[in-house]
Amino acid sequence: MKLGSLSRGVLGCALAFGLAFAGVGPSAQAASNVTLTVWSYGNVFEPKIVDMYRKAHPNVTIKITKMNLDDEHNKLLYALPSRAVPDIAAVEMAYMGQFRQPMIAAQFTNLNTLGASKIAKDYLPFRWTQGTGLNGSQIGIPTDVGGLAVAYRTDLFKKAGFPTKRDQVAALWPTWDRFITVGKQFQNKVPGVGFMDSTGTLFAAVLNQGTQKYYDSKTRAAIYRTNPTVKQAFDIAAKAGCTFMKNNKCAGSIGTKINQFSPDWGAAMNKGAFATVLAPAWMLDYIKQQAPGTKGKWDIAAVPGGGGNMGGSMLTIPKKAANVKAAWDFVSWYLAPAQQLKTFQLYGLFPTTHKMYSQPSIKNYKDPFFNNAPVGAIYSSSALKLKPIYAGAKDRLIDSTFGQALARITQGTQTKSCGKFAAQTSGAAWCQALQDIQHNIGQ
Amino acid sequence: MTTATTATVPRRRRRLSAIARQDRVGLFYVAPFFVHFVLFGAIPIVFTTALAFFNADFQTYYDFITTHQLSVLTNAFAGLENFRELFKDSYFWLALRNTFSIWLISTVPQLVIAFGLASLLANARLRASTFWRTVLMVPNITSVLAVAIVFQQLFGRDFGIVNVLLHYVGQKPVEWVAGTIPSHAAIATMINWRWLGYNSLIFLAAILAIPKELYESASLDGASRWQTVRYVTIPQMKNTITFMLVMGTIGGLGLFVEPLTYGGGFDGGANSQFLTMTLYLYKQAFMNQRLGYGAAIGVGITLVVMVISAINFMITRRIAGEESK
Repeated sequence: MKLGSLSRGVLGCALAFGLAFAGVGPSAQAASNVTLTVWSYGNVFEPKIVDMYRKAHPNVTIKITKMNLDDEHNKLLYALPSRAVPDIAAVEMAYMGQFRQPMIAAQFTNLNTLGASKIAKDYLPFRWTQGTGLNGSQIGIPTDVGGLAVAYRTDLFKKAGFPTKRDQVAALWPTWDRFITVGKQFQNKVPGVGFMDSTGTLFAAVLNQGTQKYYDSKTRAAIYRTNPTVKQAFDIAAKAGCTFMKNNKCAGSIGTKINQFSPDWGAAMNKGAFATVLAPAWMLDYIKQQAPGTKGKWDIAAVPGGGGNMGGSMLTIPKKAANVKAAWDFVSWYLAPAQQLKTFQLYGLFPTTHKMYSQPSIKNYKDPFFNNAPVGAIYSSSALKLKPIYAGAKDRLIDSTFGQALARITQGTQTKSCGKFAAQTSGAAWCQALQDIQHNIGQ
Repeated sequence: MTTATTATVPRRRRRLSAIARQDRVGLFYVAPFFVHFVLFGAIPIVFTTALAFFNADFQTYYDFITTHQLSVLTNAFAGLENFRELFKDSYFWLALRNTFSIWLISTVPQLVIAFGLASLLANARLRASTFWRTVLMVPNITSVLAVAIVFQQLFGRDFGIVNVLLHYVGQKPVEWVAGTIPSHAAIATMINWRWLGYNSLIFLAAILAIPKELYESASLDGASRWQTVRYVTIPQMKNTITFMLVMGTIGGLGLFVEPLTYGGGFDGGANSQFLTMTLYLYKQAFMNQRLGYGAAIGVGITLVVMVISAINFMITRRIAGEESK
């Protein structure tokens, strides 16, 4: 469930990604009438920006159909070999592993044939690679990069007697273990306030700092049970999710029991019920929208391990799309450096076009909502530290199953014993998660 | 049909062709239903049932659709394998239990309260009865998603109104999502809220259709209020009750949108505490891409519905039997 909410966060990333227009230049397109059909989820496409494109291209009609995240991807999977495909489809990172499988990737337009290879150098290499099919064709262009940092409440940190300056705060937690220790200290000093909003978010944060997740990048075999990074990420999130037991039930964690993006989450943020949020760049806009009254009370520090990434989407064009050329014209415009820069300035979504990171407009960008934190510098250094991570066919399902296990630990609902592990232990939750994944994916 | 037999008898032919013409017009009128049924009812049912015997996933689908080789299908044939797995699948049985639990918590109180509301509405002295009837229907026309969002707020663990009220009367917060029975109760509340008015109106229509004479003769016979309900109202509403039970069974056992939106995912909660049968079908067929196994779950759900319908049928027969008393 926690990871379920992660994916919604990712969806929110899509939401935030959007605004993207700089001078809409005249296009070389012929002026015949075209209707572009687009499948999307969340707010991948910001209506106002799409309108800007429409104004510059009066001959192009853009019809966007928004669906539930999972529904959109499932519908796309089965529509791809047929003619019932859209001209443009947004694909979320958790699903990219599935769509990159050679047989499926072959059903997308190889964007290199339209000129994608010429713009490849503009984009972060690891995000670009995520859009390359296993058959070698380029099936997607990356939208934004999450990066990862910790947004923290300076007022609550002060209450706990902690330093409030961002460099000193980052120095508190060089490792994830230290992060948990700091969380325990915080909760002892400020009772009733959670150190984090949701400890389940730690899982993806730690996992994405590695180079492999659930599948081996070379053999493509399932390695979720043997990959040490998976176990490490699970153990850290489990340790944070249950700091001590009472009456054989988890009685403490360094987070609240609130799921991200639930109605309770917004309420808790306004009331200052938690002190930190693991924040990809797109999360900042969420905080501003959910709790406008907390302006100036936040600051942003580096995450343990330095780098990190959560979320992001790809824009793809199915092979059987009716208007491949016009679709490419729109996609390449929408994700061009100039538009991504505007998106960042207006919505805080971090560009995937890394050449711009050294420009003053990003390098020197400070956000007053977050106590003038150098948001541009923080997220660009986080994004540049990342290596490509191999996404596998059933990442979404496996993410979700581990999320369930972590939620069981925090909620104290791990009622089943498993293997040699007794009920209510994190060992049993891990063991049951492995069984559930094996039960579902059969390997 | 008629042409072959009437070829040698010209007189009859004219008469029959008039009937045949009428038949054709009739067929034209009913055709939309049958076309719709065949396309969206019969074909999917046959297809799903057949699919349940295959070990098919999206790979099979892609292979077949790109190569058009029949061998793709014959290689994927699995016989009864999916059903054997289904029988041993603890998650399917868990989903069955959850579905029944939510169905019971939602159906039983709902029918009782709906009957009570209908009796109130049937009262001739009630003022502005049309207004009350309209009010009852409002929840039913509200979008399920909107209902889900509102109920998520009501049942929020930390800041939800229900737990806040419980706090004021000195109760501990209830785990409306993490707990098994609390989550079932919350989902059932969502269903009850939406369908109570609809069911009340169906009951109301049935109550108003009962001839007044029956009540008069009952009161002449000295029947008490309860006896009147027991031996006049309920037997007279036999068909309505059957209808409600059948619709309730189909709706209840096909429970999908409410648990999906309530928990925000296809898992039905961290401990699968509100995973329903159709949610499990969705998870296996579309999140896990096991189309064949998903189809087998669908066949399993159909069998369960058939068993329940048989039980319904027996209950209805009992009510019908009492009618003659």
